[in-house]
Amino acid sequence: MITQAEFLVLLDDELGLDYTPADLDRDVDELPGWDSVYLWRLLTVLEARTGRPLPFDELLTTRTLDGVRKLAVDGA
Amino acid sequence: MTAPPAVADLALAEDAWARLRRIRDAGRLVADFPQVCALVGALDADHRARAGRLLAGCDLAEVAATHGQIPAVTVAVTGNGTCAPIVAPLVAEFARHRLAARVVGAAHGQYVADLADPRGDLLAARPEVTLCLLDAGVVADELGVGWTADDCARVLDAVLARVTGLARRHDADTTATLVLHTVPLPAWLARQLVDHRSRARLGVAWRQFNAALLGLAVELRRCVVVDLDTCLTDATPLDDPRLRAYAGVGFSEPLLGRLAAEVGHVAKALRGHGRKCLVLDLDGTLWGGVLGDDGPDGIEVGGAGRGAAFRRLQQLVAQWGTQGVLLAVCSKNDPEQVRTVLRDHPDLALRATDLVAVTAGWGPKSEALAELARTLNLGTDSLVLVDDSAFECGEVRHALPEVAVVPLDAEPARHPDRLLAGDWFATLRLTDDDHARRGHYRAEARRQELRDGHETLRDYLHELELRIELARPDERELSRVAQLTQRTNQFHLTTRRMDDAAVREHWRDPDAVLWVIRAADRFGDAGLVGAVFGRHRPSGPLVLTNMLLSCRVFGRDIETAALRAVLADARESGLPGVLGHYRPSPRNGRFADFYPRHGFVPVEPDGDVLRFRHDLTVLPEPVTHLRITTDLAGAS
Repeated sequence: MITQAEFLVLLDDELGLDYTPADLDRDVDELPGWDSVYLWRLLTVLEARTGRPLPFDELLTTRTLDGVRKLAVDGA
Repeated sequence: MTAPPAVADLALAEDAWARLRRIRDAGRLVADFPQVCALVGALDADHRARAGRLLAGCDLAEVAATHGQIPAVTVAVTGNGTCAPIVAPLVAEFARHRLAARVVGAAHGQYVADLADPRGDLLAARPEVTLCLLDAGVVADELGVGWTADDCARVLDAVLARVTGLARRHDADTTATLVLHTVPLPAWLARQLVDHRSRARLGVAWRQFNAALLGLAVELRRCVVVDLDTCLTDATPLDDPRLRAYAGVGFSEPLLGRLAAEVGHVAKALRGHGRKCLVLDLDGTLWGGVLGDDGPDGIEVGGAGRGAAFRRLQQLVAQWGTQGVLLAVCSKNDPEQVRTVLRDHPDLALRATDLVAVTAGWGPKSEALAELARTLNLGTDSLVLVDDSAFECGEVRHALPEVAVVPLDAEPARHPDRLLAGDWFATLRLTDDDHARRGHYRAEARRQELRDGHETLRDYLHELELRIELARPDERELSRVAQLTQRTNQFHLTTRRMDDAAVREHWRDPDAVLWVIRAADRFGDAGLVGAVFGRHRPSGPLVLTNMLLSCRVFGRDIETAALRAVLADARESGLPGVLGHYRPSPRNGRFADFYPRHGFVPVEPDGDVLRFRHDLTVLPEPVTHLRITTDLAGAS
């Protein structure tokens, strides 16, 4: 389980991105400072954190960071 | 080459990372950028990748505008696959060298279009460095199903011809330095061939391709080729199969970090931000044990086991010394005992004669380092300290954050790798002067002894028997001139960095002036120590666009003698005057009054360039303690 609060800390720790809970629901295209390349790094980090492989292809098309978090939590 | 980080290093990296984020939270990334650079330098590779993302959000043009000593460097990125993931590591690596990377390009798969057109978007940004990323897809994508080793060899030839053509064009059409790299043969490609004979054939063709790529760095003046094979020898993964498949990214994150570090070294060398002197601790660093307690016979060096490990570090350091890296010792020890061991111990691979300075004493190490830098006429930002004491490392980091610190642990077998990892002394090419540098500094130490024996500087200068020569350089000296423009910071009147090709162009231009200053005295030949750049204007004054002198020979009035010779020659040639340019930089303030001091008067500045004019009626007093010969043939 990764709560929103934990996820925000993880984004800052691992990517240096300082987001608010509201940012997690924004479309990634409208997210300040976001770049799609960060997602790849995030996926690697999430796999290390959850200890299991994640569905990269599905995650790469997810439009919000909270969507990414939920996929990581649920394992899709 | 990446040694596993010691616990202390990790703690340091965590602390630096936390401090970086505090600066970001306070909205001070731009304002505190010099401090940010020092913190990025303390991060390990993993944290550095994160720092790049953190810095990506800050306006690097504003950084350069706010901090004069942190220049913005434009880096153009292109490649055959997805290039964007290297942007953040580049920003972090440049910050480590006190440079603000302005990255342009990084579009997907555009390398042919990007490099073929000097007026296209990428090269029109006038980069100083162009990075072209080529992953194995550049070959694999052109193979169909049913390919053989011979088919692959043909594709390799075609790709090589294409890349060679683009690189030559880049060299001819731009002033940027092109960074290419070898393309490692991935297992996922080689094993598509099931028989060993074909795999061997493929391996041969692939390596010939890489050898030819490396050859471009020898052939072209503005081309660097990074050997990625050496970056992969420490179990860095080549790529991530999922990112390769879904996103077209041909390199793993750690490998991109390594490559970004190499590009950082190129920019550092081009901008004169290179390190010049390695300062070594002794006990626990160069040998095991404590000299003061164990005595010269009790220290661990040579033989087998730990002693052999310490000797390997000494051999590495000595090897660097032969290539112009200045080696010095700074240790808390009894000076006499240190001198004796360095001179007489039979098992040392590093000798007193390899060192340009030995400081041993009991004061704070940061003070000893500052004194050492003063003695050698270097900035403290030219120093790299290697030390096994966490206390000493911490003290120096705190007091002199601009000194690069390489902390060692208790395992001497890891010492060489830890020192190699930073690649501190990487440079674009060596000149004759680099090989002779240690001799120059040792001669300087003997001059210092002579100076200490004289009551006045004037007496000392007279006994020095200084001879200087002002003349046009010959062709083989041009690399040294370029190097001087890249490394000199203090007496560098307009701080115009030039590469080999730019110097050559200037040298060939019939309207341009390029003279060099060579110096020698009773202690030896100091070699090429300065240069004067200028330009003739039809029936106008001679314009001195830049003048520089190695800090090694400061304080001997060489610059005055050279300037006087130029003025005298101009007067003899009937010129209406001489104009001198000075552009202030954070490091050349000491010579802001150089022209006024020699009878020049200020005239209208040109942008950020201050201009001074000499009417040639009264020349500066001759310098009597040196002999100057000039050969300015065809100059005026």
